[in-house]
Amino acid sequence: MAMASSESGRALAEGGLLHWLAKSWMAVAFFVGFFAVWEASVHLFHVPLYILAPPSLIVTKASADLPRLINYTGVTGLETLIGYVIAVSIALPLGLAIAFSSILERTIYPFFVMIEMVPKIAFAPIFISWLGFGLLPKVIIVFMVCFFPIVLNAILAFSSLSEELTRFSRSTGAGVWRTFVKIRLPAAMPQCFVGFKYAGLNATVGAAIAEFIGSDQGLGFYIQITTGNMRPELAFAGIFFLTAIGLALFGAITLAERLLIPWHISQRLLET
Amino acid sequence: MAPVIALNGVRKIYGKGAAAVDAFGPVNLDIAEGEFISFLGPSGCGKSTLMLMIAGLLTPTEGKIVLNGADVEGPQTNIGIMFQDNTLVPWRTVRGNVELQLEMRGIATADRRGHIDALLRSVRLLDFAERRPYELSGGMQQRAAFCQAMVHDPKIVLLDEPLGKLDAMTREHIRADLQTLWMERRPTVVFVTHSIEEAVQLSSKVAVITPRPGRIETVISVDLPFPRDIAVKASPAFVDTVRQIQEIFHGYGVL
Repeated sequence: MAMASSESGRALAEGGLLHWLAKSWMAVAFFVGFFAVWEASVHLFHVPLYILAPPSLIVTKASADLPRLINYTGVTGLETLIGYVIAVSIALPLGLAIAFSSILERTIYPFFVMIEMVPKIAFAPIFISWLGFGLLPKVIIVFMVCFFPIVLNAILAFSSLSEELTRFSRSTGAGVWRTFVKIRLPAAMPQCFVGFKYAGLNATVGAAIAEFIGSDQGLGFYIQITTGNMRPELAFAGIFFLTAIGLALFGAITLAERLLIPWHISQRLLET
Repeated sequence: MAPVIALNGVRKIYGKGAAAVDAFGPVNLDIAEGEFISFLGPSGCGKSTLMLMIAGLLTPTEGKIVLNGADVEGPQTNIGIMFQDNTLVPWRTVRGNVELQLEMRGIATADRRGHIDALLRSVRLLDFAERRPYELSGGMQQRAAFCQAMVHDPKIVLLDEPLGKLDAMTREHIRADLQTLWMERRPTVVFVTHSIEEAVQLSSKVAVITPRPGRIETVISVDLPFPRDIAVKASPAFVDTVRQIQEIFHGYGVL
């Protein structure tokens, strides 16, 4: 709700950090504790550094290699973003078309359901061999990972309007377009976002694996090379930055969801 | 005077051949202008099916329905319908939901604000006009849905168990609202219900529908003066009518 979100915005401005800490201190404590136990265990059990680096070492070594990490974050982030945006812009209209066309529903839809069973990542080596080490094969792999959850959820979203709302629309005599804009589209948004979020969570996985298989830059490449060089502390730093990309993307999707469908039950539960 | 709604040998059969289910009819019925008629029957008797057929949202297998002199072929857009599950959408406020009915019909809402306010006020919802449906109680939601069904001033109103999911006290309250609005505007109302008391209290006529396949057993005129408040339920005429209907259902083994 717009009203409630502006209220929470104000609360955040007025010493909201304390309020937040009071509410989620247990989660924060566990998070901090996790890294403390990690740090202590490495020292306590004399784990060799080439097996597992303590968090403190990860931070110091990563700081020294920061320019390269940031550069690679840009590379992987771009692959992820382009692949994701293309997936959304093709999958959403296509899902809509399939939901409304009985021909597409009987041809493309079963094909998509079948393809969904195939682990898309398995195509990665083939695409790399076709298209080389550049940006394109990574974008295609991210696209493939993201495309199917979005298209399948969009089909579900646009074809599952309640019987009552369908009857209501017909009883008003409204045309296809008006019914779409005023009822079908808003009603479909929550289910569409299920697809957007699922795809968002998997986008960085696609990018990283594509880079593992064949690349000369990016965080996937960085993680693989540093592990090979027995520098696990840098590999962990790479994972951290990869996670940051995933969080940024997921955060953006969640924000869009909050702005577009504040009325949905999932968003209302967040308010309380 | 020609009836506003005429059912001529209307019948609905679902499925074909051996799997065919005789859902409803055949029935013949004439409904006069300004009548408040209840379709009263047990669950599954096909009373909702009949309502949807009158609305043109379901095609009868046999027979013909005539609305204002014209055959019903396809959805009727000049009537007001309140469906069993309300059609309030969560992304609009109460006012927005009422306006949705107009917007879907391509009617400008800007110059109808006063009209909408009056309608909301008549069911005591004006103070909640800017709330979303999920912020309202069940009874308020039904009243909002009622406004949505009435905002385009339909002369025929179909209500499919609008009070079915409400508690007894709220039902009583909304019955009064419903009666007031009917008396003020005098549309022809078809009211689907399985509550004998509710049918007798609200209706000028009660069409008693038998268990499946539903047929109209009889049409009872309720000759009690309007408005009918709770007190009317103690009157001998009311009690007699209720008993008369109870006996019919008892005969069919549903009571």
